[in-house]
Amino acid sequence: MKMHKVEQLIIATVGFFWCFLMWFSTAAFSPSIAAHYHLSLAALGLLASSAIWMAPIGRIIAGWASDRFGAPRTFAVILAGCGLVSILSAFTTNYNLLFLERVIVAIAGVSFVVGIQHVAQWFDAQEIGTAEGLYAGTGNVGAGMGALLLPRIFGTNYHAAFIWLGAIAIVIAAWYLLRGRAAKSIERRATVQRRSNVRGTVFVWSRYIAIALMLAYAMSFGLEIAMNAWLPGYFTRGFHDAILALGFSGVAGLQIAAGTFAAVESFCASLFRPFAGYMSDLFQQKGWTPLPFIARTLPYAPRLHWLGISLILIALCMIGLTMAGLSGSLHASVLLLVLLGICISFGTGGTFALVPLLFPDRPGAAAGFIGGVSTAAGIVYPLIFAGGSNIHLGYLHAAVYMFVPIILFYFWAARYERHPEEHGLISPALLATEQA
Amino acid sequence: MATTSSNTPTRHEPWFKYGVATLFLEMAIAIAVSAYSLYMTFNGLGGFPGKH
Repeated sequence: MKMHKVEQLIIATVGFFWCFLMWFSTAAFSPSIAAHYHLSLAALGLLASSAIWMAPIGRIIAGWASDRFGAPRTFAVILAGCGLVSILSAFTTNYNLLFLERVIVAIAGVSFVVGIQHVAQWFDAQEIGTAEGLYAGTGNVGAGMGALLLPRIFGTNYHAAFIWLGAIAIVIAAWYLLRGRAAKSIERRATVQRRSNVRGTVFVWSRYIAIALMLAYAMSFGLEIAMNAWLPGYFTRGFHDAILALGFSGVAGLQIAAGTFAAVESFCASLFRPFAGYMSDLFQQKGWTPLPFIARTLPYAPRLHWLGISLILIALCMIGLTMAGLSGSLHASVLLLVLLGICISFGTGGTFALVPLLFPDRPGAAAGFIGGVSTAAGIVYPLIFAGGSNIHLGYLHAAVYMFVPIILFYFWAARYERHPEEHGLISPALLATEQA
Repeated sequence: MATTSSNTPTRHEPWFKYGVATLFLEMAIAIAVSAYSLYMTFNGLGGFPGKH
């Protein structure tokens, strides 16, 4: 049966969208769950944070599994497993069991790297940025849609929501198994499967360029998830009087305004991501290589330059946020926040336009490492933001002490004009990998 | 600017123009929703859809 790659892109995107919807469905109903079980503020915080617990290690395993068993099987297992537990959680009456079940449902968030691997196995180099961007950007919207639509559709009846989310996930799992194909060709599939071993994984993890891309993703996606958690509190404290002057009153009013600024940043970071992938393709097509030091003759060199520009823009936006905050201008701060959201999307889209090209024989292992380990940064940034003497200085500290070193390391790792993936902490000869 | 990566025009497959149209639509949605949300907030009328 002949399969078209656009069909594979649609299946992966729908599966990812639904997984993200399930991933953040607990957060969408956390007020209802808290009211039902009379949860304390600390318990509510624990429930909210549990969504991210499985991401780092889960994405690493999922990336390897997609190389080994193929994306359709891996994605179907994630969808069906999380869907089944979501349905079970709707009938649970014990909070501890419900908490455990929702942690398992949150495993759905690891599906991101499986779809990245799937799309990489079907699309050619000149269009990989746009294809991966459409997949990741459109799928990411599932998180926002969950927060917006689920409480409106189901009200406080989270039991019904969990049943519907789980049932539809099982249907999508069946569709994925029925219509999904792991790769464009048998040869491509066989090569990836053959190299999905421990040596291959160690090879990827020890490459300087893979570490640089992981740090680049930590600087973009890691920052995005950190800002989601940090921004409402930042605006409430840092611009308290300015928000009240807009006409809002009380804690609820402050939450609406501060939550809106955070949501706008996150929304732009998601919906501009396909454009970022397209820009990577455009850089490639036009052959633009404007930055110094970074390689210029590699087949994908322009994409390295696009990501380098994105990282610099993120750092500049962070410095700008501190300056706007210190000046006391709410309007300038929000404007820079929107720009930051767009630049973050440039970083996320630019990173995953490169990963499949740098590691074409191990796309899942590479996506798992880069997309998994980087999420831990989401825990680190808020600690830096909150650690300064002035609430506005945290962005500057993160930019100077974390982002500048990351950018310098990226430039250093991306300078090789031939096979950057051969340079790493361990010699490829020692790992005895079959390099093409 | 030196490059050896691509000096010939890239011929895209038919799906590509629909993909590009989709991504521009997504960008337009992001700009429209952001503009609406920020207008509402800066005028003290509400906020991001769902945050009224």
